[in-house]
Amino acid sequence: MSSYHLSTKERLLAIVDDIEIISKELIENTIAPKHQKMSSADHGQLVELLVSKDKELKATLQLAAEQAGIEKKMNGLREQVKEQDEEINQLQKQLKEAEQILATAIFQGRQKLTSINKAAKRPVSSEELIKFAHRISASNAICAPLTWQQGDLRRPYPTDIEMRLGFLGKSDLNINGHGQMPNSQNNSLNEMQQRNAGAGAGSGVVDIPASAQNQFAWHPSGELHMTVGAGAGSVSLDTRSHKDASQDDVEVMSTDSSSSSSSDSQ
Amino acid sequence: MESMQLDQIDVKPQLLTGSNENSSSESESQKVTELEILPVIYEIIRSIEKDPVDNATKQKESQDCSQKVLELQKRLESARITIRQLPGIEYSKEEQLRRLESLRKQLALKQQLIKKYKNVQF
Repeated sequence: MSSYHLSTKERLLAIVDDIEIISKELIENTIAPKHQKMSSADHGQLVELLVSKDKELKATLQLAAEQAGIEKKMNGLREQVKEQDEEINQLQKQLKEAEQILATAIFQGRQKLTSINKAAKRPVSSEELIKFAHRISASNAICAPLTWQQGDLRRPYPTDIEMRLGFLGKSDLNINGHGQMPNSQNNSLNEMQQRNAGAGAGSGVVDIPASAQNQFAWHPSGELHMTVGAGAGSVSLDTRSHKDASQDDVEVMSTDSSSSSSSDSQ
Repeated sequence: MESMQLDQIDVKPQLLTGSNENSSSESESQKVTELEILPVIYEIIRSIEKDPVDNATKQKESQDCSQKVLELQKRLESARITIRQLPGIEYSKEEQLRRLESLRKQLALKQQLIKKYKNVQF
């Protein structure tokens, strides 16, 4: 029987079993009555077999000792492999993170590039933007003025009158069948402006936002123009409720545009 | 005659026991633990062959004999237990060497992989 494919453990156990059987046979033969005893030759052979089995056991134990040494080496190697595995996992995690960060950065970069290209197609000077911002917020419809006190009749939101004079209010009227009355509207606008210019903070009428009128046209140069009269052409309009001192403010603001929020804060 | 043959046996199998303690200082001494099966067999056969004449000694002898037989059985059993606890004998030597080789290759491959990715210039 070939024992080459058996593990060393199995071989050792088989040898021990064999020794047990042979020794049992020997002892039984020794105590057996004379007529049942086997020949002395057989007995001798059994003894020799026992001795050879014992030698085999010794040799196989030697082999087991060598294998134990190899097993130690293998354990050391397994430890190293485990370390490498952990390192690989760590590296993989970090690469994955890096990939994610890079992908996000590229995506955002592309978005920025498209918005830059879009903006570059229709450039607007920052001075224009600041002037426009100033105009729409000059009527205090955006936020209350710094000098606002309790009892001040100005309101930090677009009021009723302003809304009615605005685009939504005018389109409503058109739908309902009322015709446009540019002249009367102009007059009412002028009256209001004069009243405001005269009355100051005590007036009950607030300023009309310049961008809300139908008669107003947005000229290419960036100035807001209002059609005045019948054929007088358009006049550039400044929405100011205060005196000319504020004009300096406007101009100061536009020259200081570099320090304001004209830079893209995305 | 058998006893003479057994007398000539002075082969004592060496046994490796890594079972109880794992400290390196003991591993050297454990390698010299002896498994003495043959001497016990020899004793049993000798005491059978003695065959004393008077009854009292005969009784004593037979008692001794049965004890020795039990001793033999215990020895065999402990040998089996110790063998089962030996490390590294699950496979034959060739198989074990093959496994060792594949482990080495695995380690080399993994080290190569790590090296490759750590040295990539981005």
